[in-house]
Amino acid sequence: MFRAIARIPLGRTTEDTQLRSLLDRLRTALVAGRPSFLARYGLSSLAVGGVALLRSAMFAEFAPWFLFTPAVVVIALLLGGGAGLWATLLAALCASITLRDVPPVGALSLMQVVASAIFIVTTAGLVGLVVALRHALIEADAARTELMRSAAAAAEREAFLTSVLASSTDCIKVLDLDGRLTFMSEGGQRVMEVSDFNAIAGCHWPDFWTGQGHVEALAALAAAREGRAQSFVGRASTIRGTPKWWHVALSPIRNQDGGYDRILSVSRDITALRESEDEREHFVRLAENSTDFIGMLQTDGRVFYVNDAARRMVGLDGADVTALAMTDFFLPEQVATVTSEVLPAVDRDGHWSGELTFRHFRTGELIPVLYSVFPVTDIDGRTVGYGTVTRDFRARKQAEEELRLLNGELAHRLKNVLAVVQSVTRQTLRNASDVQKASQDLSARLVALGAATDVLTNASWRSADLRELIERALAPHGEIGVRILLDGPCLTLKPQVAVALALALHELATNAAKYGALSNDAGRVDVIWQVRGEAPEARFRLDWREQGGPPVAEPTRRGFGSILIERSLRSYFGGTAGIEYRPDGLTFAMDTQLGDAVMTDGKA
Amino acid sequence: MLGQRTPIGSKTILVVEDEALVRFDMTDFFEDRGWQVYEAENAEQAIALLDRHGEIRVLLTDVEMPGAMDGLRLAHYVRERFPPALLFVVSGQAPPSPQALPARATFLPKPFDLHHVLRQIDRSPVG
Repeated sequence: MFRAIARIPLGRTTEDTQLRSLLDRLRTALVAGRPSFLARYGLSSLAVGGVALLRSAMFAEFAPWFLFTPAVVVIALLLGGGAGLWATLLAALCASITLRDVPPVGALSLMQVVASAIFIVTTAGLVGLVVALRHALIEADAARTELMRSAAAAAEREAFLTSVLASSTDCIKVLDLDGRLTFMSEGGQRVMEVSDFNAIAGCHWPDFWTGQGHVEALAALAAAREGRAQSFVGRASTIRGTPKWWHVALSPIRNQDGGYDRILSVSRDITALRESEDEREHFVRLAENSTDFIGMLQTDGRVFYVNDAARRMVGLDGADVTALAMTDFFLPEQVATVTSEVLPAVDRDGHWSGELTFRHFRTGELIPVLYSVFPVTDIDGRTVGYGTVTRDFRARKQAEEELRLLNGELAHRLKNVLAVVQSVTRQTLRNASDVQKASQDLSARLVALGAATDVLTNASWRSADLRELIERALAPHGEIGVRILLDGPCLTLKPQVAVALALALHELATNAAKYGALSNDAGRVDVIWQVRGEAPEARFRLDWREQGGPPVAEPTRRGFGSILIERSLRSYFGGTAGIEYRPDGLTFAMDTQLGDAVMTDGKA
Repeated sequence: MLGQRTPIGSKTILVVEDEALVRFDMTDFFEDRGWQVYEAENAEQAIALLDRHGEIRVLLTDVEMPGAMDGLRLAHYVRERFPPALLFVVSGQAPPSPQALPARATFLPKPFDLHHVLRQIDRSPVG
């Protein structure tokens, strides 16, 4: 871009060089300095006087003015015009004196006066020419010096600009108006990883960009062509294919006519900056995407930032949080705790964490939280604010509450079961004929109770599958499906009646094993249950039928079993329940409203 | 008014308990010892029995029962309507606070000892 100053070599001969050297020396002598007034006029007077003496000694009667002319020329050349004129006049005077020595003495003839005048005029003219020559020589020297100085200055400036361009890490390019690459700075070639500029010179610059960068480059080029500077940020690979981010500024280069014929493009590699921005962006996303409440307070307690999870938690979606203070988030009763305990602890220990309660800004709902707060410091360790990561404890508190209720419920059920065991025990002892029998009966009844409890526990005490309950209660007394046959639809029993029915079935089976159908090898028991009619009048009926056992006789004394069966089932199921001691086999029938025994809507 | 004609010192008890097995056992226990026992499965039945049998001297009620009124409220109701009655409140849950119980009521956590209840009734000043 910078035109090199070339020296045009001259064809010189030896004589030229010698003459030039002589002239250089003369010029040096001429311009070395202007002699003082005394030197100029004294030297010229001495020279003229010297010539006059020489003339009178050697050429007394020959050409009185002739010898003066060379002296005057030399004087004019070396000492300037004034000294030349002075020498001319002095020479004319000296010549006149010499002429007067020639007879007739006393006056100059007219001829001599005219000749003197001609001498003066021509010599003065010669002095004028010599002075002009002298000035020309001086000026030429000055011009040459100036030329050398400006050439040196230009070279220096060019070296400076070249070194600036070379040392810049920006990629400085010059494009023609069509966007073709005509120049690229050395530093630019380094960052663009260009090994040979000629390989890319003349390439269409926007083609180095792809995608959105290409669009932006074309737009910037169009703007520069119209005389406007424009910049953009884009992604382009270096010549070797290293992907980089660039900040690009395009501006038109104004020429001397005021128009634009070239375009300057300065691209800065901002990949590292971009990466650090990306890194910072990741930290921002970390806070933004957290499901915990993340916030930062200024040192005066005003809110600086809260993330989306925080906004959702306390109902601040879209609100300007910077108008809020930290204390606005807490339950009013806890504000004093926060200011008198939490904040001093943060200053003292560098951290505080504990359970507090937030308040929902819109609904006023209390939100139990695990609040954690710590000082945020800058690079010099100065506290610039307070950060908090706060966890929503609603679900946990609810789980704790549920667990507490569950434990309470469990204790309640356990105590109720113990109460039932207590009653069964006392009834067993009350009706037993001896301790041995009481022990056996009690053990068997507790087993039946345990089986019923199993069925209930499986359904979390909310219901009991009827068939499973029957199977478990009867399994100890005979193989189900062989001696004991079950037939009935799939039904879910209410938990309140499950224990009583299990105990009743246990008593029936015990009785059958002792005196009835299960006491020999041939008898069998049918347990049949069914639902008849439609809700809400639907009824539930359960039948126990023994056959094939020994002949049945009504007992003389009714034991705990039959009393429990009839009395408790009637009470629990709210219907009829009765045992018939038929000769061909004992039967038991229970008939009740379906809704009193069975889950009909899935609820207890 | 019913309370005023209550025969002092009668061995009459009302047992209110929805768990039939437990209720029958308590009934048998008191009947074996010569008491007149009335049984109720819930508070409504209990109030109806109290209205018919003003001679009832002791109320022994479970707290957790189906129905609109639980045992605790029944106890308060009886304390107001029949001031001299002896009250026993039974529960498998945590005991209620003393303020929640009516005056001169005894809380019994389940399971409890009926002999202990009987001794306490015997020690209580009649009337």
